[in-house]
Amino acid sequence: MKDLLEYLVRALVDEPDRVTVEQFEEDDGTIVLELAVADDDYGKIIGRGGRTANALRTVVKAAAVKENRRVLVDIVD
Amino acid sequence: MTGADQARQDAIRELLERVVEALGLQGTVEVSGDAETITGTVHGEQMGLFIGRHGQTIDAVQHLAHRAALAASDEEPAPRVVVDAEGYRARRSEALHRQADDAADEAVRFGRPVALDAMTASERRLVHEHLRDRDDVETYSEGDEPDRHLVVAPAA
Repeated sequence: MKDLLEYLVRALVDEPDRVTVEQFEEDDGTIVLELAVADDDYGKIIGRGGRTANALRTVVKAAAVKENRRVLVDIVD
Repeated sequence: MTGADQARQDAIRELLERVVEALGLQGTVEVSGDAETITGTVHGEQMGLFIGRHGQTIDAVQHLAHRAALAASDEEPAPRVVVDAEGYRARRSEALHRQADDAADEAVRFGRPVALDAMTASERRLVHEHLRDRDDVETYSEGDEPDRHLVVAPAA
């Protein structure tokens, strides 16, 4: 899931080298993916009305279903 | 094919392959198209997870594929991007045509506007174009994303 999110985000931004994803696990087993990108790239990964951020979350959640996990994507700025 | 078209098709192909793999599915990816529309199709069985409930996963993948294609080349004009799997778009298009016809009949019969469910921009366009030939109804969009939806109303 972390690899997938990193890949998807790098495909969208101007500065792929500055994409970072940190993975944490909550006590209840939920995986938290903290995503950070270059300042000028936040608009690209959030999208109009948050549409791109929602699409990223939807696809990462589908990948989590396969592993029977809950996942949250946290966009940190 | 221009360099921009090639770069965009490559970006879409790689994105679809990555998603199929991450979802643990067996499928092959075919990408075709021109400067106007690029279609990425996943061939395989058991594509339910890729499509998702009400198509929400395949629509999310389609949105990301579109953004990735634009990131791969900013040359104008920007193409439309369609992502399909297991004939999903054809089935969905039939269902949307049926909903549109029903809404149009209802609007005419009762003389009042009928709102359809929220749809993506490409699905709204599909319904709008489907009903364009009927001169007894008109269609327009209302509301904000992601709840933006079409309304079918008796022609003024």
